[in-house]
Amino acid sequence: MKVEMLDCDAVMRQLWDYLDGELTPPREAAVRAHLAVCKRCYPQFHFEEAFIKAVSASRREHSRPDAIKSRVLAALRAEGFAA
Amino acid sequence: MPWHQKRLAQLVQRMVGFPADRRTPDERFRDDALPHLHAVARYALSLTRDESDADDLTQETFLRAFRAWSQFVPGTECRAWLFTICRNTYLRSSKREQRVAACDDAELEALGAAAVHAAAQQEGLDDVFARADMFIAIRKAIDELPETFRDVIVLADLEDESYQEVARVLEIPIGTVRSRLFRGRRLLQEKLIEHARDAGFVGHDGTDRTRRDRQQ
Repeated sequence: MKVEMLDCDAVMRQLWDYLDGELTPPREAAVRAHLAVCKRCYPQFHFEEAFIKAVSASRREHSRPDAIKSRVLAALRAEGFAA
Repeated sequence: MPWHQKRLAQLVQRMVGFPADRRTPDERFRDDALPHLHAVARYALSLTRDESDADDLTQETFLRAFRAWSQFVPGTECRAWLFTICRNTYLRSSKREQRVAACDDAELEALGAAAVHAAAQQEGLDDVFARADMFIAIRKAIDELPETFRDVIVLADLEDESYQEVARVLEIPIGTVRSRLFRGRRLLQEKLIEHARDAGFVGHDGTDRTRRDRQQ
């Protein structure tokens, strides 16, 4: 497969889509190929990737997961849920 | 199994792509909906920002989902369906913030990210998001985002939903998901860099540029 050549501007416009896994496989390959060789775009990619990972890691979990599960199940059973 | 029943099962299998489902609706609810309980509780917490309200919202979401279970289309994303119910329930029950006008140019927003990175780089803060002590600031910054942007950030970045699923839950076009997500991320980054600057975080080369700059 021939990889499409992209310029920096095109890569910057698609950087979020690339990080989010939303590009088509050929376009994803083209962005990846550009990032591998571009000294200007790679630091920004690295910065945005760290940002996405940090945001994802900041996710709050429920502090009492068993309690909320029991509560929901009790409410469902009162509603007729029987499984 | 008599041949005609076998033939019918084969036809159903061919049409829908999986063996005929012999489970009762309640069993399907148990297997398909209930495993998402913790994701829904987490999403409810993102919406309400209060654990007690989030518990009420989670319970109400599952009761509504159970009552509407016959409307769920098997084979579609059950988690996104539950998120939709959760959000609609929340919107009906809460006083919402005034919605800000949404921007619609995702491409421009994507380019705006370069400006944020350049500013961070200039201040020696390009490694700021790799710091372990940032996540409390990130949570606070997400909570403070206008609802329009928080909605998409929570689904796309915290719950890892695709643009298409986010569009489905929020009932907005994919283009709007992209523009709100990219702008929300930029707003978040600006807040976090401001936080890092105010906290006097040291740049990656070991110099505390922010403090030095302030003293000049």
